[in-house]
Amino acid sequence: MGRDPHDPPQGPDDLAGWETQLRKGALSLAVLAILWRGRLYGLEILKRLDADAGLSISEGAIYPLLNRMKSEGLVAAEWVEADAGHPRKYYSLTEPGRRRARDMAAGWRAFASGVNRLLTPMDGDPS
Amino acid sequence: MSKDAGLAHLDTYLNQVHRHLGGLPAAEIRETLAELRAHLLDKVEGETTPARIEAAIAELGSPRDVARVNVTERVVAGLQTRRSPFWVLGAMGRLAGLSVYGLFAFLVSVLGYGSAAAFLATAVVKPFAWDRTGLWALPGGPDDRNFSWSLGVTDRPQQGHEMLGGWIIPIGIGVGLLLGWLTWRFGLFSLGLMGRRARRR
Repeated sequence: MGRDPHDPPQGPDDLAGWETQLRKGALSLAVLAILWRGRLYGLEILKRLDADAGLSISEGAIYPLLNRMKSEGLVAAEWVEADAGHPRKYYSLTEPGRRRARDMAAGWRAFASGVNRLLTPMDGDPS
Repeated sequence: MSKDAGLAHLDTYLNQVHRHLGGLPAAEIRETLAELRAHLLDKVEGETTPARIEAAIAELGSPRDVARVNVTERVVAGLQTRRSPFWVLGAMGRLAGLSVYGLFAFLVSVLGYGSAAAFLATAVVKPFAWDRTGLWALPGGPDDRNFSWSLGVTDRPQQGHEMLGGWIIPIGIGVGLLLGWLTWRFGLFSLGLMGRRARRR
């Protein structure tokens, strides 16, 4: 008998899996938000995800994600000769990408606000 | 010397990735390898010793895994703009070598499109070769107890029994289109599934 996928997490492994899914769900929004203020290259995006949002993803996964966003027209990419001695591929938001980021941010805030209201009774309750 | 050895190690790794990127067009292979190279050089911050390069490679992933996720994502990303049956079958072919499911889905697709084409072709040819075209029940053994089925055109009409007569035309068109549509939907589903699996790694 398999578990109902809608069951809440039960043990430490389930909790870790739930957190992983939560982070993955937020990843696209996080990448768009990180690019909001200007262009960045892949390793910078990874570092900002980790440092600013605690989102650690495997290094091999960031470029396929960025490529998918590029295919969807959300980000643009350009190769730039850098002081580091090798060219870097910089990613920046396109206008559709900015619109998507705004829409996703609005959806995220509404979602988080609703869940936070549900969590209010737990505040200060040690049980 | 150590720096050269480190860069040689990097190039060896990228060559190994290259070998697994066969499902992509040449321009996308160059782009992928250039991006991975830039990432690794950024990661070691100019210190291209073999040890630093090896550590950076270990964090990036094995050549096969890195190639698999890149190929899958790039192929699946094509669904944004192209969804024709021919494109979907081509995409399945490019992913067939990357996983057991990819190979299974590709073989199912070939079988599905092949069967659809056989039904449609039989329906189209029937009016022009009435006595030799259809769905035939043919004797399969010397004792005639085992029968085999043959769809299409036969040069031995006297040895079997044609099952549907003129009904093969509407049935062939209907079944052919349905099989083709189901195979196309299966292809779209499989590409989406393989894309989600690649992202989970």
